[in-house]
Amino acid sequence: MTPLINLLAAQAEVPEVIDRIPSGFSYFVIPFTVGIVFFLCWIGVGCVRLLRAVPRTDRLRLWKSLFIPKTAAKNIKELFCDCLFHVKIWQRKPLLGYMHSAIAFGWFMIIILGHIEVALFVPARLNVTRGGLFYPIFYRYFVWMNPGHTTLRGAFFFFLMDFFLLYILSGIALAVFKRFRSIVLGMRHTTKPSFADRVALYSLWMIFPLRLLAESFTADLSGGSFLTIPVNQFWHFLFGDKLWFMPCWWAYSICLGLFFAAMPFSRYMHILTEVLWILLRNAGIKPNHPRKGVAEAEIYACSSCGLCLDACPMNVQKKNLKFSSVYFIRFLRRHNEKKINAIADKCLMCDKCHALCPVGVDAPALRRAQRATVNNSLPYDYSYLGCPEGMVPEPIQTYSSNPEVLYFAGCMSHLTPRIIKSVEKIFKAAGVEYAFADRDGGICCGRPLMLAGKTDAAAATIAANKKMIQESGCSTLVLSCPICFKIFKEEYHLEGIKVVHYTQFINELIASGRLKVEKTDRKMVYHDPCELGRGCGVYLEPRAALSQVGTLVKASKEYDESICCGGSLGSLTLDTHDRAKISESSLDSLLVGKPETIVTACPLCLKTFSEAVSNAKYLTEPVQVKDFAEVVCEH
Amino acid sequence: MKNNILIIGGGPAGLEASAQLQRMGYNVILIERSAQLGGHLAKWDRLFPDRVPADEVLGGLIHATEGVKCFTDTDIRAINRLEKSYNVRLTNGITVLSDALLVASGFDLFNAVRKEEYGYGIYNQVMTNADLEAYFKTGRDKRIENPKKIGFVHCVGSRDEKSGCRSCSKVCCATAVKQAIEMKQAFPQADVFCFYMDLRLFGRHYEDLYLEAQKEYGVRFIRGRVAEVSENYDGTLLVKAEDTVASKPLKITLDLLVLMSGMRPSASVKELGEHLGMMVEEDGYFAVRSGIAAGQRSPQPGIFLAGAATGPKTLPETLADARAAAMEIDRYLTEIFPDARNYKQLVKERW
Repeated sequence: MTPLINLLAAQAEVPEVIDRIPSGFSYFVIPFTVGIVFFLCWIGVGCVRLLRAVPRTDRLRLWKSLFIPKTAAKNIKELFCDCLFHVKIWQRKPLLGYMHSAIAFGWFMIIILGHIEVALFVPARLNVTRGGLFYPIFYRYFVWMNPGHTTLRGAFFFFLMDFFLLYILSGIALAVFKRFRSIVLGMRHTTKPSFADRVALYSLWMIFPLRLLAESFTADLSGGSFLTIPVNQFWHFLFGDKLWFMPCWWAYSICLGLFFAAMPFSRYMHILTEVLWILLRNAGIKPNHPRKGVAEAEIYACSSCGLCLDACPMNVQKKNLKFSSVYFIRFLRRHNEKKINAIADKCLMCDKCHALCPVGVDAPALRRAQRATVNNSLPYDYSYLGCPEGMVPEPIQTYSSNPEVLYFAGCMSHLTPRIIKSVEKIFKAAGVEYAFADRDGGICCGRPLMLAGKTDAAAATIAANKKMIQESGCSTLVLSCPICFKIFKEEYHLEGIKVVHYTQFINELIASGRLKVEKTDRKMVYHDPCELGRGCGVYLEPRAALSQVGTLVKASKEYDESICCGGSLGSLTLDTHDRAKISESSLDSLLVGKPETIVTACPLCLKTFSEAVSNAKYLTEPVQVKDFAEVVCEH
Repeated sequence: MKNNILIIGGGPAGLEASAQLQRMGYNVILIERSAQLGGHLAKWDRLFPDRVPADEVLGGLIHATEGVKCFTDTDIRAINRLEKSYNVRLTNGITVLSDALLVASGFDLFNAVRKEEYGYGIYNQVMTNADLEAYFKTGRDKRIENPKKIGFVHCVGSRDEKSGCRSCSKVCCATAVKQAIEMKQAFPQADVFCFYMDLRLFGRHYEDLYLEAQKEYGVRFIRGRVAEVSENYDGTLLVKAEDTVASKPLKITLDLLVLMSGMRPSASVKELGEHLGMMVEEDGYFAVRSGIAAGQRSPQPGIFLAGAATGPKTLPETLADARAAAMEIDRYLTEIFPDARNYKQLVKERW
């Protein structure tokens, strides 16, 4: 019994870890310390500046949101899933997700574990005045493991540290590989790094191999595990007993310092700004300027990863890469007014970059805000509409005194009369009591104006339409145009009136048996219109209805990855040639399953595809382009 | 020895060129894809600016081709370029060894169904310029039943990038004015409106026609494009347009709407281009050999072009083209072609 007691007593007297250097300082920590201090000051000042630019009410909302349990839970979940585990990237591109999460989560764990080790073994060093800023980072340099004392506790941390280091190194290896062959990781195009990006990037690549080098040199002194110990033995085998490890620790510190110094000017700023952006976003605060206030958090949250490059439909032509969201945001950061405007105007507003963005940056909204800075003040004469307040709405022709349904076709459906004809036919077949709000012409729903950044003009048309709809006394508003649908749903606030897209309404008619359809073996493919799918989240109802009348085949890109038809009225400057190229790529995606009919639920897509199909020289078999209602009507 | 010349296309250009070359003593073979000679001219009733009957003009053209070997319902199966000549196999089984080729493949009218917002093929009361000419010829069309209000839409499928055509098709303005007058003659009580972007009445007497339409027939010209057309319960059409002179949108109910379908490259251009190895420009028409003085020469030695194969043209322009082509073919066959030794050199210098 005695030896054991003696041993325990001895262990209690001699600490497990000995502070090797009594001063707790060495000159090599200076580069890192300078870098991190600079970085922390930058972050601190930036945060204060940013929050001051946010309106007071929004700031209050942010503080309050932190204490609302539901929002707080969402915050925590998103911080872990988005910032550390990169779940959104995992879901689409596993290898790329692994790469990002390896670097982010691995590094996070190494920092945390380093601090835990210090807290456990040399707690005094956590104090900032005694080196708390750098000590946990260079812990392995400063300590000496008491050789008689390798307890389970120490070995456990050695193992974890080595494990996460290896995890990061595998991520770094993939990152280096990605620079040369990005397609293997699922990316056709990658972002062109700026100068600061390069500095930060190369230091980031170097940090972890140097850490391995530095720690392996000191592993026999300060402990190590399955990775560092064998490497350490290898060095001894090569260089003998005496190891000269200072240059490695210097190099490691310099790379860390460089990285933190370059970080505020590089894409890696997103590592921390993303946190702020998630908090602001979940608090429900929306940017009202493309660059100031909340938008600043948003644009600095962009990681410049370049996933939007492949997402953007314009990029079927390489020359259009420069109009992608990632570059838009880069120029926003640089305040390059001329380029910002050109890029903002080019976008089709298909929202795919937003849907696929791992950080959830709503670039189309920023582009709209940018357009508004220019276009909102342009004078236009809307006098012929009558002034918004005193506007006399079009009289609504009703079939009965109190129609169940009000149908609003919108401008675009009026340009594709086959949609209107089919919808009316379906209503009659199903015995729906309806009134046609804009049979003899109505006014624009406001969405195109909104997309062009003409928010005031949009507000005027919204007010006029709203009055007209509320006076009709209907309970359901049916829209055949997704562009109208989105704005009616989001901006009109029609209390007590159900706003539905005709695909939803007709699907319900079929499901409830009011509309009888006949199933055939006609092979169809459904194209998700941008404004309906990504814009309003309606993916399933049109498919459900179509599968009642025919056989649906798959497109190569569908649901939220669907490719814009190219006809979008979101773009203000894209020319017909570029649009035709986009239509072609969208058609290619739709035709992979060899369908007889392409079905869409948007008048604009219908028009664009009809033109594209009649111009397509490469089509081997004829393909029909039909509207959703038209197809339902035919069966 | 008489040189063989193959002329592709039996419209006005092909007919006129074959008549000219026949008179010069060449052995002319004319092929026409459809069953009938005359192309679009055969489907037209009267011609602007003088409103002469198209039949008379066409009759004259066909009469002059006496002696030309005409094959209707005939297309090209294959073409081989020999050293100087072309060996052309036709679908009727005949093979022609031709020393020069003239491509007079003409044009197609824009398919107005593609301009869906105007409702052709969807609404009963919408027709095209060609439909109206057919009505003038036969006097029958169930869409025309004593219309009170008639509209003409200019530039349908031409000068319209959205429908894939930037260029002007030249003839529709004058045709619309002519048809407006004819409708007014047929239905004096009707109101006739023409919706135009700008009127391109460039030829001799065209402007007179325009003045006559306004002064004597009271045709109303509205500057502005038609935005959309919808159908009323009674089958009449509600037309929405913009009056850019008054800077106001406008709405009008019409009994009949006539779409002035523009000229588009003939559907045969693609196939023919492949057979001949000839370049087609972005607008879909054949490329003429570069240079403003190149005239009717194509980039390929021995192949000539005339008429609407190289872009929209009026009838007088087409006929002038055909005569010019005949002259150039004659020059080629007398100056360049016979010199077997220096043929390549001469082609290099003079083609």
